[in-house]
Parts: sequence; structure tokens; C-alpha cells
Amino acid sequence: MGLTELPGSLIAGLWRQPSARAALVTLGIITAMAIAGPPFLPDPAAQPDVVGQALLPPGAGHPFGTDQLSRDVLARVVGGARISLAVAGLAVLVSVTIGAGVGLVAGYLGGAVDAALMRLVEAALAIPRLFILLLLLAVWDHIPLAALILILGTTGWFGTSRLVRGEVLRLRHEAFVTGAEALGARRARVMFRHLLPNTTGPLLVAATLGVGDVILLEAGLSFLGLGIQPPRPSWGGMIFDAKAVLVTAPWTSIFPGLAILATVLAVNVLGDALSGAVDPRKS
Amino acid sequence: MSRWLLGRLLQAVVTLVLVAVLLFFLMRLAPGDPLSRLGADQQMSALEIERLRERYGLDQPILRQFFVWAGGVARGDLGVSIEYARPVTSLIAERLPATLLLGGIVLLVNFTLGLWLGSVQAVRHGTAADRWLTAVSLAGYAMPSFWLGLVLAALVAVHWRLLPAAGMHNPLLPPDAPVWRLALDVGAHLVLPVLTLVTVSIASVIRYQRRALLEVLPLPYIVAARAKGLPESLVLRRHAWRNALFPVLTLAGLWLPILATGSVFVEAVFAWPGLGSLAAGAVGSRDYPLLMGTALLVSALVVLGGLLTDVAYAVLDPRIRWA
Amino acid sequence: MTSAIPGFAVRLAACVCVLAPRVAAQAGDPDALVIVTGQQAAMPIPTFTEGPQNLTANLDVSDQLFLRLAELPPDLVTTDERRFVPVLARSWSRRDSLTLVFELDPRARWHDGHPVIARDVVFTFERARDAKIAPKLAGLIRHIVSVTAEGERRVVVRFDRVYAEQLYDATYNLAPIPSHLVPADASVTNPPRDFLARPIGDGPYRWVRSVPGQFVELAANPDFFLGAPKIRRLFFRTAADPEARVNLLLSGEADATDNIPAPPLSNIERIDAAPGLRAVSLPSPILGYLLFNQHDRTDRGKPHPILADANVRRAIGLALDRRQIVQAVFGRHADVPYGPVSQLLWIRRGLPAPPAQDTVRARQLLAKSGWFPRAEDGVMARDGRPLELGLNYPLTSEIRKQIALQVQEQLRRMGILINLQRLDGPVWAERRSRGDFDIDFSSATQDPTPSGLTQSWSCTGGTNVAGYCDPSVDSLFDRAITSPSGPAAGRLWQEAVRRIEADQPAVFIYATMFVYAVSRRFGKAPLRAESSWLHVREWSR
Repeated sequence: MGLTELPGSLIAGLWRQPSARAALVTLGIITAMAIAGPPFLPDPAAQPDVVGQALLPPGAGHPFGTDQLSRDVLARVVGGARISLAVAGLAVLVSVTIGAGVGLVAGYLGGAVDAALMRLVEAALAIPRLFILLLLLAVWDHIPLAALILILGTTGWFGTSRLVRGEVLRLRHEAFVTGAEALGARRARVMFRHLLPNTTGPLLVAATLGVGDVILLEAGLSFLGLGIQPPRPSWGGMIFDAKAVLVTAPWTSIFPGLAILATVLAVNVLGDALSGAVDPRKS
Repeated sequence: MSRWLLGRLLQAVVTLVLVAVLLFFLMRLAPGDPLSRLGADQQMSALEIERLRERYGLDQPILRQFFVWAGGVARGDLGVSIEYARPVTSLIAERLPATLLLGGIVLLVNFTLGLWLGSVQAVRHGTAADRWLTAVSLAGYAMPSFWLGLVLAALVAVHWRLLPAAGMHNPLLPPDAPVWRLALDVGAHLVLPVLTLVTVSIASVIRYQRRALLEVLPLPYIVAARAKGLPESLVLRRHAWRNALFPVLTLAGLWLPILATGSVFVEAVFAWPGLGSLAAGAVGSRDYPLLMGTALLVSALVVLGGLLTDVAYAVLDPRIRWA
Repeated sequence: MTSAIPGFAVRLAACVCVLAPRVAAQAGDPDALVIVTGQQAAMPIPTFTEGPQNLTANLDVSDQLFLRLAELPPDLVTTDERRFVPVLARSWSRRDSLTLVFELDPRARWHDGHPVIARDVVFTFERARDAKIAPKLAGLIRHIVSVTAEGERRVVVRFDRVYAEQLYDATYNLAPIPSHLVPADASVTNPPRDFLARPIGDGPYRWVRSVPGQFVELAANPDFFLGAPKIRRLFFRTAADPEARVNLLLSGEADATDNIPAPPLSNIERIDAAPGLRAVSLPSPILGYLLFNQHDRTDRGKPHPILADANVRRAIGLALDRRQIVQAVFGRHADVPYGPVSQLLWIRRGLPAPPAQDTVRARQLLAKSGWFPRAEDGVMARDGRPLELGLNYPLTSEIRKQIALQVQEQLRRMGILINLQRLDGPVWAERRSRGDFDIDFSSATQDPTPSGLTQSWSCTGGTNVAGYCDPSVDSLFDRAITSPSGPAAGRLWQEAVRRIEADQPAVFIYATMFVYAVSRRFGKAPLRAESSWLHVREWSR
């Protein structure tokens, strides 16, 4: 059993487990909100009355309250869903793909290839990501969304590559690998057909934790002007904007925080269920 | 093994040199220099700023600046920070103890408590305990560190006045006070930052450990060991852990540099005098000497982390041979 | 194995949590004052606070260690020589219209016991006038041509022209440093390591220690000739994060701060409501304004296609409800300024109220210049080109970020499109100095002397990045600076400010107050607007 299973039967398999089902439903609700919600809600950028209606607690007219600029928090949470999920999902996809590839090649081929790749990873880890982003900010006035996703993805794969490499090092002397090699399998086949499916464990953990990581990373970046530009909302950015009123107006950070929590939980539970489903050792 | 080690050390030096060169020139590429903000913040005229540039040697050609700096590094002199007006080596040395203290304790707690909880979850896979631990640990992970830090400070320090709100020392405590009082003072200041950092990061150790053990536990030889009647802890320790430790070891190696640069946000909201805020501030203010100094330190730690992890792999699994 | 460690850790943490508060309580000290600030003082010595070291933190500590010759009167008028307060100089007199003579107080001593002599003052001025050592100071005291000693206690200062602020120039910007301890060639790029490690001054407090990244400790000088301070221990504690500062105040670990971080206003409310603290407002030198670039962004020789037109600039000013912006962000702790005048400048008294929002008039002005709303979206356009401008501001400023959003929204309702350019600090500063902006959200920290206005608003001003030039304003500046009479100078400054307000080279948005937090433990706690903690030497419980 490999990774070529049809998505349909996979989802059907997941649906049978109660926790995975809850996770799928949660993600479904969030996605539906992100796509269909905005037309029914006020403009997330509108500041109707900055003096009189700022920092209103949840109540009539504003189910999630208002922020410091009298913007509706519910509208911003829903508006931010689209961006936060898209950025996190795509960036993680990029980083997991690159990381798995590099880790497989380095771990299996070993020798000079391994040395070169790992030294490259170490050099990249030493350069502050913040710095790269500041540099790019000089080129573009504000980083376009696609570039942001690409950058987050291409600077986030280093840890994953080391994890995958570790697993490959452990597994390459196992019987199923040496057996395939003895049968004359090409190296690419051994890597992708035999080793990769056995590294899905840590890979899925990396991917699912990575989603939370990127959403929170984007919060810090927004603070530095490198993330989503105001007035477009993003969950991480909302929590950062609310830093000064954390204690006095908790609704400005709790609601986007709950959204992040729901997403992180759902994604991780799903990842868990997926690992169980694709584990090649299960008979 | 020793030939391989020598080779790795050589590679480490090459990596460090490459990082230094790359970063030095990249930094100059970024717009702005350490003195750019003076025009806006302090209404200094362009002429006055130029004069200051000369004094700091920033008007020299880039190559000349690089060789001056590199020559200094070879002699162990990392230059003088422009923002703090002190040698970079002193700045780093001053902040290192605070950083290692906080980072070290967090690492220790994460890799003991985290490993233990991960195994508990794996052994009790599917039970309520497993689900609850997942929910709680991920809830912590999903919190922004500054948010949790501020909430804890507001509750524990401001509202209940149980622990200090920020800083590392109580300034009113005289430096000649008995050692145990000074230690208790630092300990009290450590509790909230450690709690914050552990809560937001322990989930990763737990989940990697849990997943690794889950993959090993159903394997035939484990089932056989259990069937033989061996106690659970022996089964785990002797057989399962060896395989499950690989991802965890990789994680530990990756966390070594994080030990040094720490969490910038937690250092900020608790005013913890660590290297993380020092390094991050240096990027924002383009403090070239400080930036290069901290980057070299991080670089060395990254390389060290990778080396230690590879050695640990070989120790754990004798089939892995480094030629 | 591992299951034992969590238990041990929990017990250890519990011990710490229980014992720590009791230890903390014993370490309190009623005669100590802990001031929490955003930066640490790395170089708190006059003539070394140049460039990156020209920080409030350095100046605050320097004010405690070193004494000025004289201090400003409480109303901060810089032109009245008779009302300055003698400090290091016991008295001063005029030899002629170009010469001031200071008599040093014979009781003044350096912390190492040596008396403060005229040679120290001369030494300090020589350093300050050397542009290679202290470029900014040299510019500020450029009208002083010579400083000589006559005997042990007399200093003669000569100026190159007659003007009302001679005494201000000779006393405000620097405090004398010991000539027997500081090497003559030391500067901010060549610091004197030994002296920096233990600065020796003549002020009310002496240096005790500095714990890097955390705090600086000073102790009262019992032999201070103007009276030993009652607060025996003075700490300047560093917490860069504004929320950390607020927490330290509310938890009782800090007694005072010079600028409660606001927005949000809730911080001020919480501190005022706290039983052990009170909030005190003082005029601040901060002035925030939207600066219009009058030159083309790419070619400084050409006028800006949109903003060179005064009608457009005035229209933008009238379109904004500045009162609402200021009230939303600062509450009652800021005003809308008239012209480029912060609350600290004494010429503020007597200026008219700034014009209120008038969207009707704004539209009329735009129409006069050919800007009319488009049919499809209401955006102002002329010859098919929309009225669209970029607004640059540094990302480290929370205040400017919030106001920029409000400005964008208000102008959008007018049909003017504003693109917010939130820039990293050095990048923002570079673009500003290159003139690569449409509107720059600037924030100035003004000196008490109105002559600082010439830097930004005279044709050849060193920081005039927007290219604003009005010769009539320049001539008013010249006449005000060289006027020998204080009141006459004041009137001339105000006339210049009126012209600037009419030209509208910028929309002046906020002139703030600093809201100080002070522990109620201190019954007597005088604060100074031009240098917050200058009179801590007079504080008491």
C-alpha cells in the first residue's frame, strides 16, 4: 500500500474514525466559512466609528466584538480564514515536498552528496530568515502573496529534510531495502517506492505541526510588515495587533486564537489518522 | 571514525566561512545601514550623518570593510557594536548565561517530560488519555508565545503577585546578598518564561515520540517480547526506544541553535536579557558587527548540532557507519 | 527513569513559587526609585551621546551624573536670561552683547573629590565644538566662537552674533565633564573604556553598576552641594517591550516610567486605577505630521505631479477629521497642533486653533485644480488619472500604523486613494532622505528652542527632505533667530508658523503629552517636560 490510494476511499476510511470525522467536519466548516462567509458580513476593513465603537465586547451587532479601530472581529476572523489557510497549506506543501526529497537523496545516496546537501542545509539554517525577508522587502514594496508562500515554503524545509534523512539512515539496512537492492531495483525506485512510504510518520507530523507553525510565523511577520499587508486580515496578524489590549479586550485575540487552535487540532488529528491509514506495516 | 570527524570539522570551517562571506555581502545589499534612521529620528542632516559614517568606517569600499572585519575575526575580535557601543564578544558573553539558562532548562524539560508523555500516549493509543494529551499539548502549541507569556504575566505576576513580571534579577537585591537568595531570585524570574516556552513547544517532541513509538510497537519482535512476559518498561526501553529515538535526536540537534537565539517574543515580553532579542534587534537596526557576530555563533551551533546528531545516529545503530 | 524527572521538576517549581514572593518582599526598599525605560544607557556621558547613542536613556542617566551650568525656567522659555536657574554656575553676567561670563559654584566637586574648575568647562566645550568628535553638538552650538578660562572658577563664552538664545546655547546642550579623566581624543567611535565602566560626574547621583540588558544602578551623592537627594538608590531598568513595562509597573516592580505606552488608552486607565500608582501628564516634544513631497519622486528637479499644487495639499488637510483621529488614538492626552509646534515649545501660547475638518471646502479646492469624482467609483480624477498617493511610515511605530489606517479610510470617503507603505526602519529612513515618497508620516522630537524649526522648514534646512521652500518664511526665521528681544523673537516665530500652516507643506496631526506613571509612595515628585527625571534629586516620600 502506498501513497497512490484514491482520495475518495481514503476519506471514506477516515470518516469511519470518530476523531478524524470531527476533524474533517471542522476543516469543512472553516473552509465553507472562508469561501461563503464574507458576503454576509461587514467589510473587515471598515472603521465605522473609531472613537465610539472601538474595543466593544461581544454583543448585539458584533458577535465577536470590535477591535481597536472599531472593525468587526467576526468579519476579520472569517476574512482571515482564506488567507491564513491558503498561506499555511501551500507553504507547508512546498516545504514538505522539498524536505522529503532532499532528505531521501541525502540519506540514501550518502557520501559526497549527503555532505554537500547537509552543509547547504546548515548554511541556510544559519542565515536569519528574517533577514532574507527584509532583503526581499527592499525589492518589492510589499511582498505579493505568492512570493510570501514560496518564501515560507523554501525556508521551512530544512528541519524536515534532516528528519527524513535520519529515518532513511535508520532504514537503509533493513531487509526490505537490501532485498530490493539485491533484486536490482534502481536507486530512484528504492527511494520512492520503498523508503518514502516508511518515512510518512515523521513527515506527517512535520506537515501537520508545520501548518500551525506557519500561521503563527505569519503573525510575527505581519508585525514586521512582511506578512499580509493591512488592512487585509489574517489570524496571526489579528493576534499581534491585539497584543497591547490582550488583558483589557481579550476578545480581540481569543477568537482568532480559537480559529487557529481549531485548525491546528483538526489538521493534526487528520494527520494522525492518515499516518495510521498509510502505514505500510499495517497488514 | 576519526578520519571522518576530521573531515566533518574541515567541512564545518568551510561552511562557516561561506556563511560569513554570504551574510556580510547580503547585509550590505539590504537597503539602509546602521545610521540611516538618524536622519528621521533625530533630525540629523545628511552632512552630519556622512561625517559619522566616516568615523564608523562605513564609507570604506565594501571589500576593504570585509577584510578589516575578517582580519579581526581571525584574531578573535568580532568588532564593536554600533548600537551598544561595546565589543561584540562582550555583548555575546554577557547574554550567553541568561540564554543558556532559559534555553537549557526548556530543552531539558521538553526532552524529559515530552519523551515521557509521548511514550504514555503511544502505549495508551486510542484511549481517552491519548486524546486528551493530544488536545492539551496542541492547544499549547497553537498559542502564540507572546500571547501566553502576557496572559501568564497578567495573571500570576500582576493579579496574584506570586512571581516577577519581567527581567532576570530583582535590581533591589544587592550583589553581595547570599548566593541562595540570588539563585532563588533568578529561579523566580525563570518560572514564567520557562512555563511559556515549554507549553508552546513541547507538543512537537511529544508528537514525534508518539508517532515513532506507534510505528515500532506493533512490530513482531515487540509483540513477541510482550508475549514472553517481559515488563512493559523493559520492552520499551530495550527495544522500542532505540528506533523511536531517531526523530527525537534529529529534533534535539535542530534545537541546539534555537537554544542560543531563543524565542524572541518570550525574551521581549519578559524582558529576558538573552541573545535572541539581541540578534533580532541587530537585524532591524542593521548593526553589522553584532549581526555578523551572532550569525557566526548560530552557524557554529547549527554545525555542532548536525555533527552531534550524526554521531548519535552511529552510536544508536551500529549498522550506520561513517566512512 | 523519565517518570521521576517530571515529579522532581514539579516539586522544584512549587518550591520556587512559594518561597520567591517572600524573598522578593524582603528585597523591597522604600528609599529606592526604580524607573523603567525602553532602552539601556550604554554611554551616558555628555559629548558622547552622538549618532546612535543620542538616546533618551543615555540623556536621562547623564542628567543624574553631570550638572549643567544652568537649567531652563519651568515654563521652558529659552530667551529670557534672567529666569534661567543657576546650577553648576552660581551666577552669570554680560561683559557685552557678545560675551557671557559664568562664575562656577566653588562647592561643586567631582565624585572622586576633585573640584570642578573652569578648565573642565573649557575642555568640554572644545570637544563639543569639534565636528569630528561631536557632529550634532557642534552644529547646535555653532554660534559660540570661543570659550576661555579666567582663573579657577570663571568661564568666558564669546558668540559670533547677537541673539536672544545665547544663554540657552551655552547651557542646555551640554554638561561639563572632568578634564582630568577623559582623554581628549575620545569620541563615540573611540570610547574611553575605563571612564565608561565607572563614569565620574558632579551631579546628585553617582554611578554604582550596570547589569547589561537589565538595569543601571545609581546612588545618591551625599556631598552634593545643592543638597543630598533623599532617594538613596536610583535604578533605570530596561524593558524594551511596552507590555512588559506596563506589567512591571502594575506588579509593583517598577515605580515610574516616562511614557506609558499608549495607544491603547487602557494602559493609562489601568495605571491610574491601580492603587499604588498615579498618571501625570506633561507636554511632550513629539510632533507627528504627514509630510507632502513637493518634488517628483524620481527627479528632484521637477515638481511633484500632484502635491506641488497647494490646493490639493490644503484639500487633504481639510478632508481629515484630525480631532477624531487624535481623540481615538490618544484620548485627551494629545492636541491637534497648529503648524509644526509640539506641546513643548513655548511659542505655542498665543497660536490660533488649527482649522477643523471641512469636506465641502476640500472638494471645492480640488475642483478648482481640476479634480472631479469619477462616475464609476467616486475616486477623484483629473485627465483620466486618479488621485492616488503612497503613504510611507516605519513599521515600528504602532501610533503611526493606527493613524495611517484611519487617514486611509477618511480620505477614501473623499475619493482620494492612499496606498499604505509600511516600511522597515532603515528602508523608510533611506527613502525619506532620498525624497522617494509621496506622503511621509514623520515624527519629530523637538528641542525646547524654536530655532530647531529651521532644520525642516527652511529652504536649506538639513532635514528638509520634502523640498518645501518659502523665502518669506526663511526671512522670518532669520529675523527671529537674530532678534535680541525674547518677546519680539516669539512673535516672529509665530508669524513664520502661521505662514507654514497656510502653505500646508504637511498636515500636522498630533502634538502629544507624555503620560508619566509615578508610584504614590512619592509625595513630592517634580517632573520636567524637557528632561523627565532632571529633578529626581528633589523627590521624597
